Amino acid sequence: MGSFVFHLGKYIMLLWRVFSKPEKFSIYRRRLFDEMISLGLDSLGIIMIISLFMGAVITIQTAANIDSAFIPSYTIGFTTRQSSILEFSPTIMALILAGKVGSNIASEIGLMRVSEQIDALEIMGVNSASFLILPKILASVFINPFLIVISMFVSIGGGYLIAMATDIVTITDYVEGIQLDFRPFHVVYALIKTSVFAFLLTSIPAYNGYYASGSALDVGRASTAGVVNSMILILITNYVLTQLLLI
Amino acid sequence: MIEVAGLSKAFGDKEVLKDISVTFDAGKTNLIIGASGSGKSTLARCLIGLVDPDTGTVLYDGRNFIEMNMKERKMIRREVGFLFQGSALFDFMTVEQNVQFPLDMLTSMTAKEKVVRVAEVLERVELSHAGKLFPGELSGGMKKRVGIARAISPNPTYLFCDEPNSGLDPQTSIVIDKLIHEITLEYNTTTVIITHDMNSVIDIGDHILFIHNGRKSWEGDKVSILETENKEVLDFVYASEFMKKARK
Ligand SMILES: Nc1ncnc2c1ncn2[C@@H]1O[C@H](COP(=O)(O)OP(=O)(O)OP(=O)(O)O)[C@@H](O)[C@H]1O
Ligand SMILES: [Mg+2]
Repeated sequence: MGSFVFHLGKYIMLLWRVFSKPEKFSIYRRRLFDEMISLGLDSLGIIMIISLFMGAVITIQTAANIDSAFIPSYTIGFTTRQSSILEFSPTIMALILAGKVGSNIASEIGLMRVSEQIDALEIMGVNSASFLILPKILASVFINPFLIVISMFVSIGGGYLIAMATDIVTITDYVEGIQLDFRPFHVVYALIKTSVFAFLLTSIPAYNGYYASGSALDVGRASTAGVVNSMILILITNYVLTQLLLI
Repeated sequence: MIEVAGLSKAFGDKEVLKDISVTFDAGKTNLIIGASGSGKSTLARCLIGLVDPDTGTVLYDGRNFIEMNMKERKMIRREVGFLFQGSALFDFMTVEQNVQFPLDMLTSMTAKEKVVRVAEVLERVELSHAGKLFPGELSGGMKKRVGIARAISPNPTYLFCDEPNSGLDPQTSIVIDKLIHEITLEYNTTTVIITHDMNSVIDIGDHILFIHNGRKSWEGDKVSILETENKEVLDFVYASEFMKKARK
């Protein structure tokens, strides 16, 4: 518990430095652009593949579980849409990104720490925390909502392909289901979650990397810790936000 | 000029620096020598605030660095060039971008002036052809030279070099020593060089500080080091059979 409070304090102090006024904005702009490409575009492929299969599996499992004459078969489309928008796209994708982007951030920054690159920045009068971490946080918070919206569409599309390829649900029923009782607020809720998760899955691994010390071995450890910590916090935050926003 | 007085530093209960007092003059190449692990790098890091010393003062031309707040320290650091022992080049930038970075951050040069300056310093370290490469594509010695180019590009008032010629062949080593010496005279730089290399000691040792187990053991220059009877210095200087023969 004491150690949790210690790290929380240190994390907040790091964020304080990250969000202090940058000294030369032009250099940040270039970094921000680079990060959007490396954190956003580079994750698009994996997000689409996973979403496609996820949507397909939700559709099959829902169909398999409502083998009853009393439940209309458009429920399958409805369930696929709701699960994708509310939970699978925002939360599962955040966990995937925490693994992919988080380990990348922690090891990149950790390696810069142990090879004295961070010291070199500090000596040149650069606020290294802000220079290295701020572009990553901003890029993710900006780009992840787009990734997640794409994930929602692809996931629902995965269900559609199942409807086309098998006879567990007709295309007409599936399409009726995904249009049924659509509430835009659910998408808003998902995007709020996405932004918060984007903040967590970049800033926490960045914290672990920034305070790595010693050798490449410690960078590996920092990377693992960053991924695990951000995943746990994403899940806790998911619970809190759902409680706050949906009930 | 950098004046250090009574500087001590311990990591936990391990005393790494003990009561170091020394003055590094401008326009001279000041060498810090000593065995591996004797505290040389730590001393340099203390001078520039990457490590906070436990006691002591560090004056940059009369300005007490230790008592400064972060903002005032930043102003001093703008006048400092620092070559790290492991070069510490930015991996995500090309050689040119690395050398230009301090110009971006520290000076108000125009884009054109920066390009000229970058070409100029890369030429001085004989790396004009390598400007577009990334640090991952360089040899250890090339990295070192890029590190030197980056350290000197903004024309620092104070220049720190942690082992500028370790990992270089003897010829390049001499070129680098000469370069640092020239710059020191040309711009009246306060230069502090950490080294193991006896050639450098004999060539450019205007002022030499010998550290043994974190303590100042001896101080002098390239002439007096060959005449001293200090046992620790003798053990260090005449470690090799070659030097022992040369002494006779
Ligand atoms: N951050 C640190 N934490 C704990 N001990 C440290 C730290 N930095 C340095 N030391 C210790 O301080 C001592 C001096 O280290 P330093 O790097 O200054 O040696 P050096 O004289 O530069 O050696 P070399 O010539 O091998 O580079 C070493 O014993 C090292 O273990
Ligand atoms: Mg050293």
